Amino acid sequence: MSLKIRRTLKRILVYMLLILLAFMIQTGVFPLLPVFSSVPNLLLILTFSLGFIYGSVTGMLCGLFAGILMDLFSGGPFGFYSLVFIYIGYFNGIFTKYYYDDFITLPLILCGINELAYHLYIYVARFLVRGKLDIGFYFVDIILPELLFSLIVTLFIYRIFLKANKRLDTIEQKRGQNVA
Amino acid sequence: MDNRASKYMLIVLTVLCVVLIVLSSIESGYINPLRNAVGYVLVPIQKGINSVGTGIYNAVSDAESLRNASRENQELRAQIDTLLEENNRLKSDTLELARLRELYQLDQDYMQYPKVAARVIAKDSEKWFQVFRIDKGSADGIEPDMNVLCGGGLLGIVTDVGANYATVRSIIDDESRVSAMSQVSADTCIVAGDLQLFEDGRLRISNIDKNAGISDGDAIVTSNISTKFLPGILIGYAADIQVDAQQLTKSGTLIPVADFDNLQEVFVITQKKADMQQEGGEES
Repeated sequence: MSLKIRRTLKRILVYMLLILLAFMIQTGVFPLLPVFSSVPNLLLILTFSLGFIYGSVTGMLCGLFAGILMDLFSGGPFGFYSLVFIYIGYFNGIFTKYYYDDFITLPLILCGINELAYHLYIYVARFLVRGKLDIGFYFVDIILPELLFSLIVTLFIYRIFLKANKRLDTIEQKRGQNVA
Repeated sequence: MDNRASKYMLIVLTVLCVVLIVLSSIESGYINPLRNAVGYVLVPIQKGINSVGTGIYNAVSDAESLRNASRENQELRAQIDTLLEENNRLKSDTLELARLRELYQLDQDYMQYPKVAARVIAKDSEKWFQVFRIDKGSADGIEPDMNVLCGGGLLGIVTDVGANYATVRSIIDDESRVSAMSQVSADTCIVAGDLQLFEDGRLRISNIDKNAGISDGDAIVTSNISTKFLPGILIGYAADIQVDAQQLTKSGTLIPVADFDNLQEVFVITQKKADMQQEGGEES
Protein backbone atom coordinates (compact mmCIF):
# COMPACT_ATOMS: atom_id res chain seq x y z
CA MET A 1 0.00 0.00 0.00
CA SER A 2 2.72 2.45 0.98
CA LEU A 3 4.49 1.55 -2.25
CA LYS A 4 1.39 2.52 -4.19
CA ILE A 5 1.16 5.84 -2.39
CA ARG A 6 4.81 6.48 -3.03
CA ARG A 7 4.35 5.73 -6.70
CA THR A 8 1.37 8.04 -6.91
CA LEU A 9 3.26 10.83 -5.16
CA LYS A 10 6.19 10.39 -7.49
CA ARG A 11 3.91 10.55 -10.52
CA ILE A 12 2.19 13.66 -9.21
CA LEU A 13 5.58 15.30 -8.74
CA VAL A 14 6.70 14.34 -12.26
CA TYR A 15 3.51 15.71 -13.83
CA MET A 16 3.69 18.92 -11.83
CA LEU A 17 7.27 19.47 -12.99
CA LEU A 18 6.24 18.72 -16.57
CA ILE A 19 3.40 21.24 -16.46
CA LEU A 20 5.70 23.80 -14.83
CA LEU A 21 8.26 23.26 -17.58
CA ALA A 22 5.62 23.63 -20.27
CA PHE A 23 4.39 26.85 -18.64
CA MET A 24 7.93 28.25 -18.48
CA ILE A 25 8.59 27.43 -22.13
CA GLN A 26 5.28 28.90 -23.17
CA THR A 27 5.69 32.22 -21.36
CA GLY A 28 9.48 32.58 -21.35
CA VAL A 29 10.84 31.01 -24.52
CA PHE A 30 8.10 31.15 -27.15
CA PRO A 31 7.66 34.94 -26.99
CA LEU A 32 11.35 35.28 -27.88
CA LEU A 33 10.72 33.52 -31.20
CA PRO A 34 9.20 36.23 -33.35
CA VAL A 35 9.52 33.98 -36.40
CA PHE A 36 6.40 32.08 -35.46
CA SER A 37 3.28 34.16 -35.51
CA SER A 38 1.56 31.48 -33.46
CA VAL A 39 2.77 28.93 -30.94
CA PRO A 40 1.36 25.58 -29.78
CA ASN A 41 -0.50 25.51 -26.50
CA LEU A 42 1.68 23.12 -24.48
CA LEU A 43 -0.38 23.31 -21.29
CA LEU A 44 -3.50 22.32 -23.15
CA ILE A 45 -1.73 19.42 -24.85
CA LEU A 46 -0.33 18.16 -21.53
CA THR A 47 -3.65 18.42 -19.73
CA PHE A 48 -5.65 16.57 -22.34
CA SER A 49 -2.95 13.91 -22.89
CA LEU A 50 -2.74 13.13 -19.18
CA GLY A 51 -6.51 13.12 -18.91
CA PHE A 52 -6.84 10.83 -21.91
CA ILE A 53 -4.21 8.37 -20.69
CA TYR A 54 -5.00 8.27 -16.95
CA GLY A 55 -8.64 9.26 -16.67
CA SER A 56 -10.75 12.12 -15.40
CA VAL A 57 -9.28 12.54 -11.90
CA THR A 58 -5.70 12.89 -13.12
CA GLY A 59 -6.92 15.11 -15.95
CA MET A 60 -8.77 17.41 -13.59
CA LEU A 61 -5.85 17.72 -11.17
CA CYS A 62 -3.42 18.48 -13.99
CA GLY A 63 -5.92 20.94 -15.44
CA LEU A 64 -6.27 22.60 -12.05
CA PHE A 65 -2.53 23.01 -11.71
CA ALA A 66 -2.06 24.30 -15.27
CA GLY A 67 -5.05 26.61 -14.88
CA ILE A 68 -3.78 28.08 -11.61
CA LEU A 69 -0.44 28.86 -13.25
CA MET A 70 -2.20 30.63 -16.11
CA ASP A 71 -4.50 32.49 -13.72
CA LEU A 72 -1.60 33.67 -11.59
CA PHE A 73 0.12 34.92 -14.68
CA SER A 74 -2.70 36.55 -16.58
CA GLY A 75 -3.98 39.00 -13.98
CA GLY A 76 -7.60 38.62 -15.14
CA PRO A 77 -10.34 37.22 -12.89
CA PHE A 78 -8.81 34.36 -10.91
CA GLY A 79 -10.23 30.98 -11.89
CA PHE A 80 -10.95 31.88 -15.51
CA TYR A 81 -8.32 29.50 -16.88
CA SER A 82 -8.59 26.94 -14.07
CA LEU A 83 -12.23 26.38 -14.95
CA VAL A 84 -11.66 25.57 -18.61
CA PHE A 85 -8.56 23.46 -17.96
CA ILE A 86 -10.41 21.38 -15.33
CA TYR A 87 -13.19 20.67 -17.83
CA ILE A 88 -10.70 19.75 -20.55
CA GLY A 89 -9.01 17.29 -18.16
CA TYR A 90 -12.36 15.83 -17.15
CA PHE A 91 -13.90 15.36 -20.59
CA ASN A 92 -10.76 13.88 -22.12
CA GLY A 93 -10.63 11.52 -19.17
CA ILE A 94 -13.96 10.09 -20.26
CA PHE A 95 -12.32 8.86 -23.44
CA THR A 96 -9.68 6.97 -21.50
CA LYS A 97 -11.59 3.74 -22.10
CA TYR A 98 -10.72 4.02 -25.78
CA TYR A 99 -7.08 4.54 -24.94
CA TYR A 100 -4.55 2.01 -26.11
CA ASP A 101 -0.93 2.29 -27.20
CA ASP A 102 0.04 3.49 -30.65
CA PHE A 103 -3.40 4.83 -31.40
CA ILE A 104 -2.79 8.39 -32.50
CA THR A 105 -5.95 9.27 -34.45
CA LEU A 106 -8.22 9.78 -31.47
CA PRO A 107 -5.72 11.96 -29.56
CA LEU A 108 -5.37 14.14 -32.64
CA ILE A 109 -9.14 14.50 -33.02
CA LEU A 110 -9.41 15.27 -29.30
CA CYS A 111 -6.63 17.85 -29.62
CA GLY A 112 -8.55 19.61 -32.38
CA ILE A 113 -11.81 19.61 -30.41
CA ASN A 114 -10.05 20.79 -27.26
CA GLU A 115 -8.35 23.68 -29.03
CA LEU A 116 -11.65 24.74 -30.58
CA ALA A 117 -13.52 24.53 -27.29
CA TYR A 118 -10.77 26.35 -25.39
CA HIS A 119 -10.60 29.25 -27.82
CA LEU A 120 -14.34 29.47 -28.17
CA TYR A 121 -14.51 29.77 -24.38
CA ILE A 122 -12.01 32.65 -24.39
CA TYR A 123 -13.74 34.31 -27.34
CA VAL A 124 -17.22 34.15 -25.82
CA ALA A 125 -16.17 35.09 -22.29
CA ARG A 126 -13.76 37.90 -23.09
CA PHE A 127 -14.53 39.16 -26.61
CA LEU A 128 -18.12 38.40 -27.61
CA VAL A 129 -19.42 39.89 -24.34
CA ARG A 130 -17.78 43.17 -25.34
CA GLY A 131 -19.54 43.17 -28.68
CA LYS A 132 -16.65 41.94 -30.82
CA LEU A 133 -18.64 39.97 -33.35
CA ASP A 134 -16.18 39.26 -36.13
CA ILE A 135 -15.60 35.62 -35.22
CA GLY A 136 -14.39 34.86 -38.76
CA PHE A 137 -11.36 37.07 -38.28
CA TYR A 138 -10.51 35.62 -34.89
CA PHE A 139 -10.91 32.10 -36.20
CA VAL A 140 -8.62 32.56 -39.18
CA ASP A 141 -6.12 34.75 -37.40
CA ILE A 142 -5.77 33.17 -33.98
CA ILE A 143 -7.59 29.89 -33.58
CA LEU A 144 -6.64 28.14 -36.81
CA PRO A 145 -2.85 28.74 -36.68
CA GLU A 146 -2.62 27.65 -33.06
CA LEU A 147 -4.80 24.63 -33.75
CA LEU A 148 -2.59 23.46 -36.61
CA PHE A 149 0.56 24.07 -34.60
CA SER A 150 -0.82 22.18 -31.63
CA LEU A 151 -1.82 19.24 -33.83
CA ILE A 152 1.73 18.94 -35.16
CA VAL A 153 3.21 19.19 -31.69
CA THR A 154 0.72 16.65 -30.34
CA LEU A 155 1.82 14.25 -33.02
CA PHE A 156 5.37 14.32 -31.61
CA ILE A 157 4.84 14.96 -27.92
CA TYR A 158 2.17 12.31 -27.54
CA ARG A 159 4.48 9.65 -29.01
CA ILE A 160 7.37 10.66 -26.76
CA PHE A 161 4.99 10.77 -23.87
CA LEU A 162 3.75 7.24 -24.49
CA LYS A 163 7.29 5.88 -24.65
CA ALA A 164 8.39 7.68 -21.50
CA ASN A 165 5.28 6.41 -19.84
CA LYS A 166 5.87 2.78 -20.80
CA ARG A 167 9.36 3.11 -19.43
CA LEU A 168 8.13 4.51 -16.12
CA ASP A 169 5.68 1.61 -15.89
CA THR A 170 8.31 -1.04 -16.53
CA ILE A 171 10.75 0.52 -14.05
CA GLU A 172 8.06 0.61 -11.43
CA GLN A 173 7.09 -2.99 -12.14
CA LYS A 174 10.68 -4.15 -11.78
CA ARG A 175 11.07 -2.26 -8.54
CA GLY A 176 7.84 -3.68 -7.28
CA GLN A 177 9.12 -7.20 -8.00
CA ASN A 178 12.41 -6.48 -6.27
CA VAL A 179 10.68 -5.24 -3.18
CA ALA A 180 8.34 -8.21 -3.18
CA MET B 1 -14.26 2.77 -11.01
CA ASP B 2 -14.35 6.34 -9.80
CA ASN B 3 -16.87 7.65 -12.24
CA ARG B 4 -19.08 9.07 -9.55
CA ALA B 5 -16.15 10.35 -7.49
CA SER B 6 -14.73 12.22 -10.46
CA LYS B 7 -18.13 13.75 -11.17
CA TYR B 8 -18.36 15.07 -7.61
CA MET B 9 -14.83 16.34 -7.92
CA LEU B 10 -15.73 18.19 -11.12
CA ILE B 11 -18.72 19.82 -9.45
CA VAL B 12 -16.69 20.85 -6.39
CA LEU B 13 -13.87 22.29 -8.52
CA THR B 14 -16.33 24.08 -10.80
CA VAL B 15 -18.08 25.73 -7.87
CA LEU B 16 -14.69 26.66 -6.41
CA CYS B 17 -13.56 28.26 -9.67
CA VAL B 18 -16.80 30.18 -10.16
CA VAL B 19 -16.64 31.48 -6.58
CA LEU B 20 -13.03 32.52 -7.14
CA ILE B 21 -13.87 34.25 -10.43
CA VAL B 22 -16.69 36.19 -8.78
CA LEU B 23 -14.60 37.05 -5.70
CA SER B 24 -11.56 38.17 -7.67
CA SER B 25 -13.71 40.22 -10.04
CA ILE B 26 -15.07 42.15 -7.08
CA GLU B 27 -11.85 42.44 -5.07
CA SER B 28 -8.62 41.11 -6.49
CA GLY B 29 -6.75 41.41 -3.19
CA TYR B 30 -7.88 37.97 -1.91
CA ILE B 31 -5.49 36.16 -4.21
CA ASN B 32 -2.40 38.20 -3.40
CA PRO B 33 -0.86 35.85 -0.77
CA LEU B 34 -1.06 32.98 -3.27
CA ARG B 35 0.31 35.14 -6.06
CA ASN B 36 3.21 36.21 -3.87
CA ALA B 37 4.02 32.68 -2.74
CA VAL B 38 4.06 31.34 -6.29
CA GLY B 39 5.91 34.44 -7.46
CA TYR B 40 8.78 33.71 -5.09
CA VAL B 41 9.24 30.30 -6.71
CA LEU B 42 8.52 31.10 -10.35
CA VAL B 43 9.99 34.54 -10.94
CA PRO B 44 13.65 33.55 -10.36
CA ILE B 45 13.20 30.64 -12.80
CA GLN B 46 11.48 32.89 -15.33
CA LYS B 47 14.27 35.42 -14.96
CA GLY B 48 16.83 32.68 -15.60
CA ILE B 49 15.05 31.30 -18.63
CA ASN B 50 14.54 34.78 -19.96
CA SER B 51 18.18 35.82 -19.59
CA VAL B 52 19.37 32.60 -21.26
CA GLY B 53 16.84 33.01 -24.06
CA THR B 54 17.63 36.69 -24.53
CA GLY B 55 21.34 35.84 -24.51
CA ILE B 56 20.91 33.30 -27.28
CA TYR B 57 18.66 35.63 -29.22
CA ASN B 58 21.16 38.47 -28.90
CA ALA B 59 24.10 36.22 -29.84
CA VAL B 60 22.31 35.15 -33.02
CA SER B 61 21.41 38.68 -33.97
CA ASP B 62 24.97 39.80 -33.06
CA ALA B 63 26.50 37.36 -35.52
CA GLU B 64 24.17 38.63 -38.20
CA SER B 65 24.88 42.25 -37.57
CA LEU B 66 28.67 41.74 -37.39
CA ARG B 67 28.77 41.37 -41.15
CA ASN B 68 27.30 44.78 -41.71
CA ALA B 69 29.16 46.35 -38.83
CA SER B 70 32.43 47.32 -40.47
CA ARG B 71 30.74 48.96 -43.43
CA GLU B 72 28.40 50.72 -41.09
CA ASN B 73 31.32 51.81 -38.95
CA GLN B 74 32.82 53.84 -41.77
CA GLU B 75 29.55 55.49 -42.59
CA LEU B 76 28.97 56.28 -38.94
CA ARG B 77 32.38 57.91 -38.52
CA ALA B 78 31.49 60.29 -41.26
CA GLN B 79 28.18 60.96 -39.58
CA ILE B 80 29.78 61.68 -36.20
CA ASP B 81 31.39 64.82 -37.54
CA THR B 82 28.17 66.25 -38.79
CA LEU B 83 26.36 65.16 -35.67
CA LEU B 84 28.89 66.80 -33.37
CA GLU B 85 28.28 70.04 -35.08
CA GLU B 86 24.54 69.54 -34.90
CA ASN B 87 24.78 68.53 -31.25
CA ASN B 88 26.37 71.81 -30.29
CA ARG B 89 23.61 73.66 -31.99
CA LEU B 90 20.94 71.50 -30.33
CA LYS B 91 22.50 71.98 -26.91
CA SER B 92 21.90 75.66 -27.12
CA ASP B 93 18.41 74.91 -28.37
CA THR B 94 17.81 72.69 -25.34
CA LEU B 95 18.77 75.45 -22.99
CA GLU B 96 16.40 77.72 -24.77
CA LEU B 97 13.69 75.09 -24.59
CA ALA B 98 14.18 74.69 -20.84
CA ARG B 99 13.77 78.39 -20.40
CA LEU B 100 10.66 78.43 -22.54
CA ARG B 101 9.21 75.44 -20.69
CA GLU B 102 9.59 77.28 -17.45
CA LEU B 103 7.92 80.24 -18.99
CA TYR B 104 4.99 78.16 -20.14
CA GLN B 105 4.97 76.18 -16.90
CA LEU B 106 4.97 72.92 -18.75
CA ASP B 107 6.02 71.08 -15.63
CA GLN B 108 3.47 68.38 -16.31
CA ASP B 109 5.67 66.99 -19.04
CA TYR B 110 6.10 63.28 -18.46
CA MET B 111 9.90 63.44 -18.60
CA GLN B 112 9.75 64.65 -15.03
CA TYR B 113 7.75 61.75 -13.59
CA PRO B 114 9.83 59.47 -11.30
CA LYS B 115 10.55 56.22 -13.10
CA VAL B 116 11.82 52.73 -12.30
CA ALA B 117 13.43 50.58 -15.00
CA ALA B 118 12.27 46.97 -15.26
CA ARG B 119 12.92 43.98 -17.46
CA VAL B 120 10.23 41.97 -19.25
CA ILE B 121 10.61 38.35 -18.12
CA ALA B 122 7.56 36.61 -19.54
CA LYS B 123 4.80 37.21 -22.01
CA ASP B 124 1.42 35.66 -22.63
CA SER B 125 2.02 33.36 -25.59
CA GLU B 126 -1.63 33.44 -26.58
CA LYS B 127 -2.55 35.96 -29.20
CA TRP B 128 -5.84 36.78 -27.51
CA PHE B 129 -4.19 38.88 -24.84
CA GLN B 130 -1.25 41.26 -24.78
CA VAL B 131 -0.10 40.83 -21.20
CA PHE B 132 3.43 40.54 -19.90
CA ARG B 133 5.31 40.24 -16.66
CA ILE B 134 8.16 42.44 -15.40
CA ASP B 135 10.78 41.66 -12.76
CA LYS B 136 9.93 44.48 -10.34
CA GLY B 137 7.13 44.25 -7.81
CA SER B 138 5.70 45.78 -4.65
CA ALA B 139 9.13 45.44 -3.01
CA ASP B 140 10.42 47.97 -5.56
CA GLY B 141 7.49 50.31 -5.00
CA ILE B 142 5.36 49.15 -7.92
CA GLU B 143 1.60 49.38 -7.41
CA PRO B 144 -1.41 48.54 -9.59
CA ASP B 145 -2.50 51.29 -12.02
CA MET B 146 1.02 52.63 -12.48
CA ASN B 147 1.79 53.63 -16.08
CA VAL B 148 4.46 51.80 -18.07
CA LEU B 149 6.55 53.45 -20.80
CA CYS B 150 8.86 52.12 -23.48
CA GLY B 151 10.73 53.88 -26.26
CA GLY B 152 9.36 57.27 -25.27
CA GLY B 153 5.73 56.28 -25.51
CA LEU B 154 2.96 54.81 -23.41
CA LEU B 155 3.18 51.01 -23.29
CA GLY B 156 0.60 49.89 -20.77
CA ILE B 157 -0.59 49.81 -17.19
CA VAL B 158 0.23 47.61 -14.20
CA THR B 159 -2.78 45.40 -13.48
CA ASP B 160 -1.56 43.43 -10.50
CA VAL B 161 1.53 43.19 -8.39
CA GLY B 162 3.36 40.46 -6.50
CA ALA B 163 6.24 40.98 -4.13
CA ASN B 164 8.89 40.54 -6.82
CA TYR B 165 6.96 40.84 -10.10
CA ALA B 166 4.18 42.81 -11.71
CA THR B 167 1.77 42.06 -14.52
CA VAL B 168 1.37 44.72 -17.20
CA ARG B 169 -1.41 45.00 -19.77
CA SER B 170 -0.31 46.67 -23.01
CA ILE B 171 -2.43 49.38 -24.55
CA ILE B 172 -2.67 47.15 -27.64
CA ASP B 173 -4.60 44.55 -25.62
CA ASP B 174 -8.15 44.30 -26.90
CA GLU B 175 -9.53 45.17 -23.46
CA SER B 176 -7.42 48.30 -23.06
CA ARG B 177 -9.03 51.75 -23.31
CA VAL B 178 -7.11 54.95 -22.70
CA SER B 179 -8.65 58.37 -22.39
CA ALA B 180 -6.52 60.58 -24.64
CA MET B 181 -6.38 63.95 -26.34
CA SER B 182 -4.70 65.70 -29.20
CA GLN B 183 -1.56 67.53 -28.13
CA VAL B 184 -2.32 70.39 -30.47
CA SER B 185 -6.03 71.00 -30.08
CA ALA B 186 -6.64 69.27 -26.70
CA ASP B 187 -9.75 67.58 -28.12
CA THR B 188 -10.45 64.35 -26.24
CA CYS B 189 -10.78 60.88 -27.68
CA ILE B 190 -10.52 57.23 -26.67
CA VAL B 191 -7.53 55.10 -27.70
CA ALA B 192 -8.51 51.44 -27.61
CA GLY B 193 -6.53 48.31 -28.36
CA ASP B 194 -7.94 46.21 -31.18
CA LEU B 195 -6.81 42.73 -32.09
CA GLN B 196 -7.77 43.24 -35.72
CA LEU B 197 -5.79 46.47 -36.09
CA PHE B 198 -2.88 45.14 -34.05
CA GLU B 199 -1.82 43.08 -37.08
CA ASP B 200 -0.88 46.34 -38.80
CA GLY B 201 0.70 47.67 -35.59
CA ARG B 202 -2.10 50.11 -34.94
CA LEU B 203 -4.68 51.03 -32.32
CA ARG B 204 -8.15 52.48 -32.70
CA ILE B 205 -9.11 56.07 -31.93
CA SER B 206 -12.78 56.74 -31.37
CA ASN B 207 -15.24 59.10 -29.70
CA ILE B 208 -13.76 62.20 -31.31
CA ASP B 209 -16.25 65.02 -31.54
CA LYS B 210 -17.24 65.73 -35.14
CA ASN B 211 -16.07 69.31 -34.91
CA ALA B 212 -12.82 68.47 -33.12
CA GLY B 213 -9.59 69.59 -34.70
CA ILE B 214 -7.82 66.24 -34.69
CA SER B 215 -6.34 65.41 -38.07
CA ASP B 216 -3.94 62.84 -39.51
CA GLY B 217 -0.43 63.05 -38.07
CA ASP B 218 -1.43 64.81 -34.84
CA ALA B 219 0.39 63.68 -31.70
CA ILE B 220 -2.02 61.93 -29.33
CA VAL B 221 -1.22 62.08 -25.61
CA THR B 222 -2.95 60.81 -22.47
CA SER B 223 -5.63 63.25 -21.40
CA ASN B 224 -6.03 65.28 -18.24
CA ILE B 225 -9.38 63.67 -17.45
CA SER B 226 -8.14 60.06 -17.43
CA THR B 227 -8.56 58.40 -14.04
CA LYS B 228 -5.61 56.03 -14.35
CA PHE B 229 -3.19 57.52 -16.86
CA LEU B 230 -0.97 60.48 -16.04
CA PRO B 231 -1.54 63.45 -18.35
CA GLY B 232 0.69 64.33 -21.28
CA ILE B 233 2.29 60.95 -22.04
CA LEU B 234 2.78 60.49 -25.77
CA ILE B 235 0.84 57.50 -27.14
CA GLY B 236 1.30 57.89 -30.88
CA TYR B 237 0.13 59.68 -34.00
CA ALA B 238 -3.36 59.82 -35.46
CA ALA B 239 -4.08 58.41 -38.92
CA ASP B 240 -7.07 57.71 -41.18
CA ILE B 241 -9.38 60.05 -39.26
CA GLN B 242 -12.85 59.87 -40.77
CA VAL B 243 -16.36 60.93 -39.82
CA ASP B 244 -18.40 57.99 -38.50
CA ALA B 245 -21.53 56.72 -40.21
CA GLN B 246 -23.91 58.39 -37.73
CA GLN B 247 -22.28 61.79 -38.52
CA LEU B 248 -21.81 62.64 -34.82
CA THR B 249 -18.29 61.48 -34.09
CA LYS B 250 -15.03 60.83 -35.87
CA SER B 251 -12.73 57.84 -35.52
CA GLY B 252 -9.54 56.51 -37.00
CA THR B 253 -6.38 54.62 -36.18
CA LEU B 254 -3.28 55.44 -34.18
CA ILE B 255 0.33 54.57 -34.94
CA PRO B 256 1.93 53.95 -31.52
CA VAL B 257 5.35 55.28 -30.53
CA ALA B 258 6.29 52.33 -28.31
CA ASP B 259 7.67 49.23 -30.02
CA PHE B 260 5.49 46.31 -28.99
CA ASP B 261 7.27 43.58 -30.95
CA ASN B 262 10.58 43.46 -29.15
CA LEU B 263 9.97 44.27 -25.52
CA GLN B 264 12.96 43.97 -23.20
CA GLU B 265 13.39 47.04 -21.01
CA VAL B 266 10.50 49.16 -19.84
CA PHE B 267 10.01 52.06 -17.43
CA VAL B 268 7.37 52.19 -14.74
CA ILE B 269 6.27 55.61 -13.54
CA THR B 270 6.07 55.33 -9.75
CA GLN B 271 3.60 58.16 -9.44
CA LYS B 272 -0.09 57.40 -9.72
CA LYS B 273 -2.83 59.55 -11.17
CA ALA B 274 -5.10 58.78 -8.21
CA ASP B 275 -2.47 60.06 -5.71
CA MET B 276 -1.90 63.16 -7.81
CA GLN B 277 -5.58 64.00 -7.78
CA GLN B 278 -5.72 63.56 -4.00
CA GLU B 279 -2.77 65.89 -3.49
CA GLY B 280 -4.29 68.40 -5.85
CA GLY B 281 -7.58 68.18 -4.00
CA GLU B 282 -5.95 68.80 -0.63
CA GLU B 283 -4.12 71.83 -1.91
CA SER B 284 -7.16 73.54 -3.32
